[in-house]
Amino acid sequence: MNADRSYESAVARIEQIIRRLDSGEAGLRETLDLVKEGRGLVEYCAAELEAVSAGLEELRLEELVARLEGAGRTPE
Amino acid sequence: MTTPEPSTAEPIPDSDLPGPYPVGAYAAQLKRRLQEFANVQLVGEVWGFRSARARVYFELRDARGALPCSMWRNEFEELGVTLSDGLRIVVGGGCDYYPGSATSSPSFSFAVTELRVAGEGDLLVQLERLRKRLAAEGLFEPQKRLHRPALPRTIGVVTGERGKARDDVLAGLRRRGWAGRVVWAFEPVQDRHAAPRIAAALRELAAIPEVEVVIVARGGGSLADLFAFCDEGLCRTVALLRVPVISSVGHHTDRTLIDDVAAVCCSTPTHAAEAAVPVDCRAARADVAAFARRLHGAGRRAVLDRARALAHYSRTPGQHVARHRTRLHQLLREMRASANRGCEQGRSRASVHVLVLGRGAERAKTSDRLRRRAELERLALALGAHDPDRTLARGYALVEDRDGSPLTSAAAARDAGDLDLRFHDGKVPARVREDGER
Repeated sequence: MNADRSYESAVARIEQIIRRLDSGEAGLRETLDLVKEGRGLVEYCAAELEAVSAGLEELRLEELVARLEGAGRTPE
Repeated sequence: MTTPEPSTAEPIPDSDLPGPYPVGAYAAQLKRRLQEFANVQLVGEVWGFRSARARVYFELRDARGALPCSMWRNEFEELGVTLSDGLRIVVGGGCDYYPGSATSSPSFSFAVTELRVAGEGDLLVQLERLRKRLAAEGLFEPQKRLHRPALPRTIGVVTGERGKARDDVLAGLRRRGWAGRVVWAFEPVQDRHAAPRIAAALRELAAIPEVEVVIVARGGGSLADLFAFCDEGLCRTVALLRVPVISSVGHHTDRTLIDDVAAVCCSTPTHAAEAAVPVDCRAARADVAAFARRLHGAGRRAVLDRARALAHYSRTPGQHVARHRTRLHQLLREMRASANRGCEQGRSRASVHVLVLGRGAERAKTSDRLRRRAELERLALALGAHDPDRTLARGYALVEDRDGSPLTSAAAARDAGDLDLRFHDGKVPARVREDGER
């Protein structure tokens, strides 16, 4: 996955792909490439949504800092 | 001041201090002692004005300190003034102390007996001056330029631990259907220590890479209660953070400086939570499922449509040839029929023309003969009219030389000498006679 990718940019690209496919102007090769790219983006978006659906996790700042320090990482 | 009677309780061992005295007796003495302070006039700004059944209460503040004040409510209402936060006033009165009891708390206040409004409060003036300075330095802009993720996984929240703001933030997140990670930084949100603590918490939250957005929330209160959020150091910290800060401090009527500096300013903690997660997660899940269906359908359609077309093409070359052959035959038949029709029509038309031409020729031939005969007769008549024999027959004679050429003058006759006189019935020779020969 592209590190710079964000949920909103992925959704925008999917909408762009669907507009192109709906136009009927894409050839077979382009259609298959777009569908493949779109599926990857949909999987990314679904994973992002899944990550904020598992259940609310509440942490105190000091707990998180301690956890990070325990893992050998201090806040930058 | 008289020394109260010590109680019968045992004193603290090894203590040099007198007592122990009953606290109520000491409090009563303190009240008397405080009341001995001279009555004076004080000047400062009003903060936290509130009205109770019998008395009104407020704080009088300036940059160096503050004093709780109270006044009989009926005396205050007789003045007809309205006290608001930051209003500069002058009060007259003296110290008072309510010693409390076994069932009520003690309290100290400056008992106000006189009061007048002095003008706009210095603190509000200072606040406005600071707002202008921060704006001039461009510190209201950096946060607005930060990217705010539509779907953050981790949200930091700075708020009071026991405030209602915490529940409101959670309610806003639930409304979005969001259930990620919240990192709470519980800090005091109302006193002189609040601003540096909040700033430190913000710096720590921003230093954690997972934290994508931070909410600073506090419920409503007077502007005095919210004054920590106008702290210059706190505002400068917020302006330079790497993560966007969403502020919800008090209400919109009380605009603090952190509201100006933050990326987004919301009227309630609930709205702040919704601003931190712009995406409605439930709707987004439905959207993503719809995207998946449409992509699947588009891919399937693209392949199937083309496969059908190819199958059709592969099956039908023979049918194409047969169809074209039939068509060609049909065209050939039509051409032949058309040619035959054309020949027949031409032939018929030609015979009609021949007939017409024949009749025309016949007509022309007959009429031409008659015309020529009439013309000849006319010419014969004309010629007859000019025939010299007819003239000769009327008694005229024609003079000719020996060669038969007509002589038309006397001179020509004299020159010729020998002549022929031609009559209608024959010629008679003649000779010209000179005058002397008579």
